[in-house]
Amino acid sequence: MLSRIADSMYWMARSLERVDNTARLLDINLLYLLEAEDALAEPAQWQPLLGIFRSEDNYAEIHGDADIRRDRVIRFMTQEKKNPGSLYSSLRVARENARVVRDRISFEMWEAMNEFWLEVDRHLKRPLRAEKAPEFFGYVRNQVARFHGLTMNTMMRGEPFSFYMLGNFLERADMTSRTLDVKYHMLLPDASMIGSPVDYYQWGALLKSLSAFDAFRRQYHAGLRPIDVVEFVILEPEFPRSLRFGVGRMEQAVQRIGTNRVECEICQAMVALKKQLEERTALSIFDYGLHEYLTDFLEHIDAFNNALQSDYFEAYLAADVECAT
Amino acid sequence: MLQTSSNSAAQSAMPYHEFYRDNFEPRNHYRPMWEHIRRTGQNELAEKAHEAHLAMHTDGVTFTVYGDHEEGIERVWPFDLIPRVIPASEWSQLEAGLKQRVRALNMFLKDIYHGQRVIKDGVVPAELVYEGKDFRREIRDIDPPHDIYTHISGVDLIRNVDGRYLVLEDNLRTPSGVSYMIENRIVERRILPEFFAQYRVRRVEHYPALLLQALRHLSPRGKDQAEIVVLTPGIYNSAYFEHTFLAKEMGVELAEGRDMVTKNNVVYLKTTHGLRRVDVIYRRIDDDFLDPLCFRSESVLGVAGIINAWRAGNVAIVNAPGAGIADDKAVYAYVPDIIRYYLGENSILQNVPTYQMSNAEDRAFVLDNMEKMVVKAVAESGGYGMLMGPSSSPSQRAEFARHITRDPRNYIAQPVIPLSRHVCYLDGELESRHLDLRPFIIYGEDIEVVPGGLTRVALTKGSLVVNSSQGGGSKDTWVLAE
Repeated sequence: MLSRIADSMYWMARSLERVDNTARLLDINLLYLLEAEDALAEPAQWQPLLGIFRSEDNYAEIHGDADIRRDRVIRFMTQEKKNPGSLYSSLRVARENARVVRDRISFEMWEAMNEFWLEVDRHLKRPLRAEKAPEFFGYVRNQVARFHGLTMNTMMRGEPFSFYMLGNFLERADMTSRTLDVKYHMLLPDASMIGSPVDYYQWGALLKSLSAFDAFRRQYHAGLRPIDVVEFVILEPEFPRSLRFGVGRMEQAVQRIGTNRVECEICQAMVALKKQLEERTALSIFDYGLHEYLTDFLEHIDAFNNALQSDYFEAYLAADVECAT
Repeated sequence: MLQTSSNSAAQSAMPYHEFYRDNFEPRNHYRPMWEHIRRTGQNELAEKAHEAHLAMHTDGVTFTVYGDHEEGIERVWPFDLIPRVIPASEWSQLEAGLKQRVRALNMFLKDIYHGQRVIKDGVVPAELVYEGKDFRREIRDIDPPHDIYTHISGVDLIRNVDGRYLVLEDNLRTPSGVSYMIENRIVERRILPEFFAQYRVRRVEHYPALLLQALRHLSPRGKDQAEIVVLTPGIYNSAYFEHTFLAKEMGVELAEGRDMVTKNNVVYLKTTHGLRRVDVIYRRIDDDFLDPLCFRSESVLGVAGIINAWRAGNVAIVNAPGAGIADDKAVYAYVPDIIRYYLGENSILQNVPTYQMSNAEDRAFVLDNMEKMVVKAVAESGGYGMLMGPSSSPSQRAEFARHITRDPRNYIAQPVIPLSRHVCYLDGELESRHLDLRPFIIYGEDIEVVPGGLTRVALTKGSLVVNSSQGGGSKDTWVLAE
């Protein structure tokens, strides 16, 4: 398929997944803070969110100071047009890319995306109030789910679909690792605690933001132990937001797309990424250092993204000979 | 050259009515429809009109109007319920006339890009060709596949007060509208199947299939290996809907200039698996933007090196670069002579009388009578660069007079022809509006005219401007079988 179209499919899916994750994280943070017993100061409650999106600098620049306040953060992460990582900006990118691939996606998908964008654009013309925000985030998550559902049920399983899967799961793995890294850092400064039950609400909030709470509790009955949470979120093969699950789907997509390269960057990046998950246990990850582990993982995600660029989206740069298909 | 100037009696006469005779009885071929409309009643018609609009909306049949917004505004294609009917005998005349015209214009193009006999024999003045904006010196002596230059034409026809069809413009560059011809038919059939029951209407939906065969016919690697693309300027172009439509209907790639690259005079598509060779490019961008190496260097819409690839015979470009000189509005006046010169026949379809502004006598006459004239820039289309004399203001006329005096070769003038009228269903009333007709002609192994076309309607009362960019609508067009 055309490289430009593949690129747009990929970014449509990535941006949409970003929209979903942004809504999830903000929603759970708001909900959790409603009943927080620990008297964390406002900046301490909201700073980690900016950390997950690596937006601290941009936040300070746009506001002229680094003063972190709830309403500001919500607006910055939801509707700030100058923030390329805001929900609004991500959805705009998703919709623009959908317009480019309009003849490759089903009519239902296009219609759903278009409606979603028009409604969010209308809704965010005014500042989003914190007490109204959960309702809005619920709407956003429903719309993303609707789009995914339509994709699964109406889209041809050809190359465009594989690029959609790549964008979707790469972004999800990326966000899951970052969320885990930041939250873990904040919630468990003392590594000796990994085998003991920890704060039910805080860790519960983390699992909820990944839609993992119920599934986790069905599987583990020893309370919320960090070692179990890490095992579940990173290594659980059946949990659709785990790193292992995501990397598995990415591998399937790459295999379906195939490559005619002799020196295949994407194959190497895939092997490196899988290696991060093979023969690992939660304990070995903690021995290595969770933060160090996640930092490595994110680097491999970046390398994979770059390999997609060079092997597929700019495949023509290296191509001296024409190919058959 | 001053052709017969229109007489003033004709100008003041009533425009031809397609639907009614002078006594307001419907013409024979509209009688069954008229009976049906009378039986149907207002409420049902209103409902049908609403359904038709919804159908266009949900199918995403849109066009883009350029305005203050950088990106343009996407509008739903305006469609009128009442179809236009063309009897078989009328159509066979039109068809013969269109084929004759397209055949002669192709011979003309081949000639002016090779030996230029037509100039040497004094049929068409040399300066008219050389000063034409769309004459491309760069492509002289190139032989396009099968000597075809205008693979797709959309000739605009109007009817004068006597009901005679006249050619208003030969659109030989990238005529648009064919997707709307098909969408109109699809919606009409869905909304008013009972209309069809009383007529034998010829089909039009095979147009993309015909086009695909014509394009495959041009492939340098043979038709079984033809990699065909539709080249679009992108999503903000007014006809982007049509580009998507045609690519989808033909099952070929819709590409932008940046999706292609040339190497060793071969054009390739940039794909996820490397480069894929391209054989035929149906381009929907103007010559000027086609190749920054050859024409406008700042163009980012085209593909660098594409003209050399074409020259080397490695790719076919549709329509051929340089074809626009044959629909230049100043050359237009010579088409009857061109037909006679190459085919030895009289032209079956007549022209609208045309005044050449490079001719001193014509120019003086027009400058004195501007309020009765339509003045047109020769290389513009889509209703842009045009002065409608009767509805113009003194300052607009003065402005065009200045343009004409400064650059006479760039303008022509024609007497205002009151376009024929037809019944339309507008806001709950049946009203008469002016319209024209654009049939589409494909020059492949043979010349074929799809039996139908795009009927464009000036929706504003009294208006003669049918362009969709300027408030025009459309009708389904029925050509009847014998």
